[in-house]
Amino acid sequence: MPHDGQSSFGHPLTGIRVIDLGWITAGAGTSTLLRDLGADVIKIEGPGAPDPFRRWEGAEPGTDWWNRSPFYNATNRGKRSLCLDLKHPRGRAALEALLECADVLVENYRRGVLASLGLEPAVLLRRFPRLVIASISSQGEDGPDRDMVSYGSTLEATGGLAALTGVGDQPVITGRDINYPDQVVCLFASGAIIAALLERRCTGRGAHLDLSQRELTTFLLGEEMIAAAEGVPSRRRGNIDPVEPDEQLLREGNEWRVAWPGGTAPVRDPASLVSAPEFARSGAIQQSPDGIPVKGFPFRLTRHPISAAEVCHPLGADNRAVLREAGFDDGQIESLEEAGVIASTPGSNRP
Amino acid sequence: MPAPLAGKRILDLGALCRKRPHSLAISMAAKLCAGFGAKVWRPAPTSGEPLAVAPPILPNGNSALDMFLNRDKLPGKAAASYDAAIGDEASLAEHASGVPIGVRISVFGPGEDPSVTELSLLALTGLLGLVGTAEGPPTRLAGHQLAYAAGLAACTGLLAAFHAGGGEMVDVSLFDVGVWLNWKAAIGILLLGTGPERDGPRNHWMTVAAVDGFVALVYQEKDWPLLREMVGNDRLDDPRFATMASRGEHRAALLAEIGPWFRSRTRAEITAAAQRRRIPIGPVKWPAELLRDPQHLARGFLEANGMPCLPLVWNGRRLAREPSHAA
Repeated sequence: MPHDGQSSFGHPLTGIRVIDLGWITAGAGTSTLLRDLGADVIKIEGPGAPDPFRRWEGAEPGTDWWNRSPFYNATNRGKRSLCLDLKHPRGRAALEALLECADVLVENYRRGVLASLGLEPAVLLRRFPRLVIASISSQGEDGPDRDMVSYGSTLEATGGLAALTGVGDQPVITGRDINYPDQVVCLFASGAIIAALLERRCTGRGAHLDLSQRELTTFLLGEEMIAAAEGVPSRRRGNIDPVEPDEQLLREGNEWRVAWPGGTAPVRDPASLVSAPEFARSGAIQQSPDGIPVKGFPFRLTRHPISAAEVCHPLGADNRAVLREAGFDDGQIESLEEAGVIASTPGSNRP
Repeated sequence: MPAPLAGKRILDLGALCRKRPHSLAISMAAKLCAGFGAKVWRPAPTSGEPLAVAPPILPNGNSALDMFLNRDKLPGKAAASYDAAIGDEASLAEHASGVPIGVRISVFGPGEDPSVTELSLLALTGLLGLVGTAEGPPTRLAGHQLAYAAGLAACTGLLAAFHAGGGEMVDVSLFDVGVWLNWKAAIGILLLGTGPERDGPRNHWMTVAAVDGFVALVYQEKDWPLLREMVGNDRLDDPRFATMASRGEHRAALLAEIGPWFRSRTRAEITAAAQRRRIPIGPVKWPAELLRDPQHLARGFLEANGMPCLPLVWNGRRLAREPSHAA
């Protein structure tokens, strides 16, 4: 049964179970932060719809590429993997059995997909009233732009960040190597989910959290919105900080350096970043137990230290264990395997 | 109305911190706590609230930054006790002894707090070096993105501490948050041996001029045939544009071919044509435009004075402001 998950030992979210339907960064990264805090995270991907991050750079053809994507593995370490076809009625039934014992559902499917599977949040909350459902989307659950297709950098444009970023006449987006709104939403969404778990302790009821990445992008420019509403013209300030008038960005050959009255700092490229002494002490990038660098943590807890203690599980590695916990016997599990409802390889064998 | 931190008393020491990135991160974390229903007290130094004179300055002389970060907080240090305090090492030591949960902002970690600016933090974490055009200088993300992201992380760490029952010190390093945001660069260089470059050939997304501003040209390989069809220029069949990598290498030539199509249409026309094909192109919008943006209006995201609500709809409703704080 679901439980309050109040932990007197272990980690802050010890005892909390998360069903992770998150993809790429925004959804999957949110669930990883919950995992870091002690939650048991079960990542569910369909054989025909694996997380697209599995097909990213470094997933070499001719191998079990779906288990070898560096960016996927860096993001999803420590989660249990269930490869389950949610388009199949028996797959949906298995998901519903898992939700009986779950506290949190995280999803960032395209709007409408969850409903097409018969898994609308309102329906799920009627059946599982203690469940916290986090729907992370580009625009939110409603509104005229609900179905607008966006990646992170699209949201930098539509959320106001791009217009204000840049040193010349042209607005600037961060591009696919940063995709800033996809990163920052994980920090907020994981907090909102914990807030809903705290609220559940008082009310006994879960919630549907509708998280719009575009709204978060605009929120993080809140002072500019207030100024604009008062008629103050918005400006693209480039690298000028009005409160640091003596700060300069200096070019030295091919290198750049920031100098201000209190000190100086190099503008690091990725190679110089990872060789910096502070990087070695940082918690932001960790090594998993197999020695592979993985995404780390944006904070540390003194009393409940967090660590990247587990490797990334191969696709479907936990099919049997997870389904047994949900009440399935070996015969039922084998039947699901034979029907292709659960699997350990993607339906398409091409990265 | 949900208020998950109702009854919690938070001490915001942001006004008492000497370093500005720390102060902004603390102020953001405490603002989020207020948004989740906590009562937040913010003592100011005898010289007054430092953010009160911070830009942008409104026509009435008040600071929009101060209003955004501090509106829903109580002045002074009036509570008999606090459940949590958010500050830097010095302010926590001076003002928060005995508070069960501390949230400590630093540059590199406890005791490693050298002088920094927001720009220098972006430089040290690699975020500055990756943003901007190839021919131009590294470019700062607008606003206070790294400090605010640290504030989001701090709030999440604090909520986790409440969930664990209290008695915790949450450490948030501004450097760690920046590297965490920039993790793909670090993982790329460590595991693949190559990292991204500012506006390099891998980064084929860009802003493109339209009749009335700019749009963000964002697309994946699967979108290329649809983009080519949308623009309707046969010269895009050239082998130079056949793959994402080759389009990156010949970006100037690509822009020369597609640019006229974009420059002859409005942002709305371009966005509509792209979205019909499910290409994730969108308009670059200014804050003043966002005040009347149909999506933001429909979802009740902005107050009449431009103040954004917490970017969260909880069971179909926005979280209410704490009544005793409401103006």
